[in-house]
Amino acid sequence: MRLLIVEDDAPLASGLRRILEAEGHAVDVTSRGEQAVLAAAQERFDLVILDIGLPQMDGFEVLRRLRAGSPDKNGPMPVLVLTARDAIDDRVRGLDLGADDYMVKPFAMPELTARVRALLRRSQAHGGPRIVHGPLALDTVARRAFLKNEPLELAAREWAVLEVLLGKVEKIVSKEAIIQAVAGWGDDLSPNAIEVYVSRLRSKLEPAGIKIRTVRGFGYMLEEYKGA
Amino acid sequence: MLLPPIGALLVLGALVAYYPSIEPATLAYDQGLIDAGISLGTYIRTSDAGGYRLELPTAVDQVLRRDSYDSVYYRVLGPDGEPIAGDEGLPGPPPEREARDGFISYDTAYKGQKIRAVAVPAKCGDAACSVVVAETTVKRRRMARDILFSSLLPEMLIAIATVLIVWFGVKRGLGPLARLSDEIKARSPGDLRPIAAADTPEETRPLVSALNGLLDEVAQASRNQQRFLANAAHQLRTPLAGLQAHTELALAKPLPVEVRAELEQVHQSTIRTARLANQLLALARAEPGARGNAAELNLKALAESQADAWVHQALARDVDLGFELEWAPVQGDAFLLREALANLVHNAIEYSPRGARITVRTGRNGSGSFLEVEDDGPGIPPPERERVLERFYRVPGTPGTGSGLGLAIVREIAAGHGASISITDAMGGSSATRGCRVAITFPHG
Repeated sequence: MRLLIVEDDAPLASGLRRILEAEGHAVDVTSRGEQAVLAAAQERFDLVILDIGLPQMDGFEVLRRLRAGSPDKNGPMPVLVLTARDAIDDRVRGLDLGADDYMVKPFAMPELTARVRALLRRSQAHGGPRIVHGPLALDTVARRAFLKNEPLELAAREWAVLEVLLGKVEKIVSKEAIIQAVAGWGDDLSPNAIEVYVSRLRSKLEPAGIKIRTVRGFGYMLEEYKGA
Repeated sequence: MLLPPIGALLVLGALVAYYPSIEPATLAYDQGLIDAGISLGTYIRTSDAGGYRLELPTAVDQVLRRDSYDSVYYRVLGPDGEPIAGDEGLPGPPPEREARDGFISYDTAYKGQKIRAVAVPAKCGDAACSVVVAETTVKRRRMARDILFSSLLPEMLIAIATVLIVWFGVKRGLGPLARLSDEIKARSPGDLRPIAAADTPEETRPLVSALNGLLDEVAQASRNQQRFLANAAHQLRTPLAGLQAHTELALAKPLPVEVRAELEQVHQSTIRTARLANQLLALARAEPGARGNAAELNLKALAESQADAWVHQALARDVDLGFELEWAPVQGDAFLLREALANLVHNAIEYSPRGARITVRTGRNGSGSFLEVEDDGPGIPPPERERVLERFYRVPGTPGTGSGLGLAIVREIAAGHGASISITDAMGGSSATRGCRVAITFPHG
């Protein structure tokens, strides 16, 4: 994947570059917002990591200009915002302007790489008909699932719940959010029903090392695949 | 405050009216005595032996002595002061007293009573005799009292009217100030907008303008402080992020054991420094001048928005983090309340053993909206519960590397929101594993 880092602090920028290169990505670095806007206009990046506190043209302005450009033919360009500010309106502003995620400095590298992977996966899944999560693959057009290349039988509601969780790997999805996403399938769903579907999904997926964690009183979180 | 001087004026006014009016009245009564003395003088007869005598008919004596209030006395004296007739021992005029129009009037005492007397000259043949007429002072005192009262009554009416006028006037005059004071009292502490001059009465304009000048300066200082904090946050956190990135990169490589151990220390210190920087910034942000404006918030939504980050921390320490979130509306600063909640959750995760159970709750009860974090860890002994809210205080023997700032930050933020903080045992805890429940309650707004 091709990544662009926009960060004016040289040690942090070089650290980020090396970590992401170690993940197998091609990484470009710039310290200037103006250059980032130019580069993004000319070339296609799969992900932009954007610092808000840039000299001259700040990250908000860069984000605004990236989003103001015509919709990308090759699909959306996800932006992960880095901020050292803690005022919440900064974050909200970032997400309003079209940032896909944000992280407050300083942060642990495993968290950064996890977020990058999640964003890349989401943008990949967005256009494509295939969602892949470790040994699990969903063909959203044919509505067929495969686990370790073997066909996996999923009831319609199990499929719907799994699709919601796969869209937010490593994030908590509340039971209400799942009900809302699945409610289009017909009659009323109780939180208990969701528990039943999740427990069926677990019995099918956990043997392959795919974990759905329960967050007590809140919802579920599909953990990142770490091997069987 | 105005009553004592007004009372003094009243007394002074009464005295000023009394003395000028008592003088002519006294003279009028004296004149009555003088007239009686003159008529008495006409009854002195010269005897053949060369002496004098008073030939007063009994009827005249009775008329002379008849008076509704006072006893009347008289005495007739010869040219050499020898008594001729009348009441024995009635005192004559003091020798130093000068005559006025030929008469001497004076105050003295007779038969144990105060009397007023006049000495009147009288002809006795070719010589000059004198007649002293005196009366007790009952009607004079009564007159003096009447004069005093008749002058006091209008004085008092004037005084009462003055007090009422002054009271209404002051109240009316201070009314605009009272309204201004009400308006300022009704403001929230963070509200530094200028007072609208159009809504205030003419008399308070200079005060309002001075206040607005002050408010503007405070607002400016507050903006400067917020800008400084934003800059300080950026300047501190960015290099820390770089330090953490490179440390973690290095740790990912094959390293000699002792170098790895050193680097692990650097890594731990970096994380601690980052946390300390965050806490100091949060503490500074909780200062009154640096607070943002209060907004309508829901503690439930606030907790939900942070749940992701906490769940990952909890998983890393093998702690069961759960939620019981109900609608809990408050007026507050979202950043600070999130920080308070984050500190409570962080403490619970940090100081609970593996396998512990932590529950974050929000909701409403009889006292107001609340948020609380409960764990089944070792708890905080009751004697320590006040002190753990102090800055940099850590319960003796506590493991870990905390700064002792977390709960102090929570307390500052709670205080800034008018909320109360309570530390109790967890529900159903025993003395061995009492657990800990920290609750912040926001009174009904």
